[in-house]
Amino acid sequence: MAIPLLVGIVFVTFMLVRVGGLDPVGRLAGPTATAEEFEMIRAELGLDEPLWKQFAIYGGNVVRGDLGESWLSNRPVLTDLKERAFISIELLFWGVGIGTLIGVPIGLRAAFRPNGRFDQISRVLSLLGFSIPTYWLGLVMLFVFFYLLQWAPPGIGRISLMVSPPDHITGSYLIDGLLTARWGAVQSAAAHLVLPVICLAIVSAAPIIKQTRAIALEVLSSDAARYARASGLPPKTVRRLVLRNSATPVVTFVGTEITGLVGTMSLIEYVFAWGGLGQYGLNAIVRGDFTAVQGYVLTLALFSVIVFLIVDIIVNLIEPRSELT
Amino acid sequence: MAETVGDEFKRDRAAARPFSLKNRFIGIARVSPTLASGVIIILAFGFMAVFAHWLMPHDPVSAYPERVLKPPSAEHWFGTDGNGMDVFSRVIYGAKFGFGIAIPAVILAVAIGVPVGLVAGYRGGLLDEVLMRFFDGLRVFPSIILALAVVAATGQSLLNVVLVLGFLDSPVFARVVRSEVLSLRSSVFVESAKAAGNPTWRILFIHLLPNAIQGATAQAAVRAAWAVRISATLAFLGVGIQAPTPEWGAMIRQGAEFMVTGQWWVGIFPGIALIFLVFGLNLFGDGLQDLMDPRRRAVN
Repeated sequence: MAIPLLVGIVFVTFMLVRVGGLDPVGRLAGPTATAEEFEMIRAELGLDEPLWKQFAIYGGNVVRGDLGESWLSNRPVLTDLKERAFISIELLFWGVGIGTLIGVPIGLRAAFRPNGRFDQISRVLSLLGFSIPTYWLGLVMLFVFFYLLQWAPPGIGRISLMVSPPDHITGSYLIDGLLTARWGAVQSAAAHLVLPVICLAIVSAAPIIKQTRAIALEVLSSDAARYARASGLPPKTVRRLVLRNSATPVVTFVGTEITGLVGTMSLIEYVFAWGGLGQYGLNAIVRGDFTAVQGYVLTLALFSVIVFLIVDIIVNLIEPRSELT
Repeated sequence: MAETVGDEFKRDRAAARPFSLKNRFIGIARVSPTLASGVIIILAFGFMAVFAHWLMPHDPVSAYPERVLKPPSAEHWFGTDGNGMDVFSRVIYGAKFGFGIAIPAVILAVAIGVPVGLVAGYRGGLLDEVLMRFFDGLRVFPSIILALAVVAATGQSLLNVVLVLGFLDSPVFARVVRSEVLSLRSSVFVESAKAAGNPTWRILFIHLLPNAIQGATAQAAVRAAWAVRISATLAFLGVGIQAPTPEWGAMIRQGAEFMVTGQWWVGIFPGIALIFLVFGLNLFGDGLQDLMDPRRRAVN
């Protein structure tokens, strides 16, 4: 099941670079190159081989962990990606975590009194959250909290330039600082985290509110909930039942949502010059570094597959019906 | 809104008024304020897009070198940008891009997705299996990154942005239509159409399509909102549409550097316009979904 998906992912990233009028040869050869030089470079890059053979070579390289070399950084793409992965995961963890903690209770409360005032307000707010461009929100936050109020540090990087980053242990300045007891670094890293995390939390909470409400409403109108109410169980017990039965679809939804949020997050990274995977990927796309783009897209897809797997495991653990098996 | 007998009656009375666009709209607004406010917002932007040339006080791309980065004033309501161009005029003109990209992109997505969904749902079997697997597989890629990478790889032009958004969005419509067709496939009217000797294309497009399209119409508004958002994001990153084109995303890109130096008007206003249009489309789509989904209505 997962194997055809993985082959498909590698195929899509492979085709991504080949579909267009994109020409790495022209870029490498420069404007004064002769026809023979063009041919030489093509042969050197393996572009004169038939397409299926190129794909086989590319696939083989990917399996061996060779993603090629980025011409922007002149380093193996895999090294670039590995260095930045944890930086992005840290941001994603805080952002989506807080977004979920905000979104799920609001969605539940809205569902318990559908079309009440709370529901109306939360619905408009969540639709608004859907509509705000992430990068614009980030810029406005920088304007308000950095320029006007001067509460937040400038949106450049993950730690102040005045503070030397703590020794590399996990890659997260926050955790590394705590581990090495560098409180100045911890403080600076935390301050830099606040705005991007709020941005991501707002953007991720919107769909979670909407979906949690829909799921809880569905459960509320299910036979089980109706029976529980008809039997005269106290509202608190009914709510617990609804919570329990909503948990599985909500977790599944948040899991699938993470894929899209990774894209959103790269925009936040771009605005705050975060230096993570997302900013690396966007830079590669904008500047046409296609080996890096391939590696980046591949990493994102693999990440999604891993998240889906984790969701499956969690669902298996919390699903009431799976206790029987 | 809790529906009571009284509400029903009021609604009937509204429907009984002589037919006019205004009365019709009031009727809709009673049932779904979301839908109505969405319509108003969309119409306002539509008006802006169509009559931009009369509404703009200045030319959106002619620069006043002596008036660079001036704050909002009576002459320039939204101030001027780094090139000395009038931000207000540019925001109005930007509505043209919002609609100009979203409408063709959604039409393309419907034109691809709906037939695919019809055939896949009706035929079933291996074709259906392969298509659905492919669409599921595409889900592991964040849509914005895929759109960015494809536009960057296939060449940066407005046309390409439209084509790529249309293609990437077509699975949504295929999926909606397919699930409708699956539940309609063995219904009596399809069986009788088959028994009467209708060719397959006739069953698909004359008999099934009108019954299966409902879910797709609500999706169309939501997906238009998506298209507006993604195309602006592409422009913000400098992919597809380049400054000084008066497109909202491109304008936010121009305003980004001034945001931390205090010239907020360059980037804030196009962002607000963008939010409003996307918000209006989302309200409209959400309202439609509410009206059409009997299950969501039943709960209320």
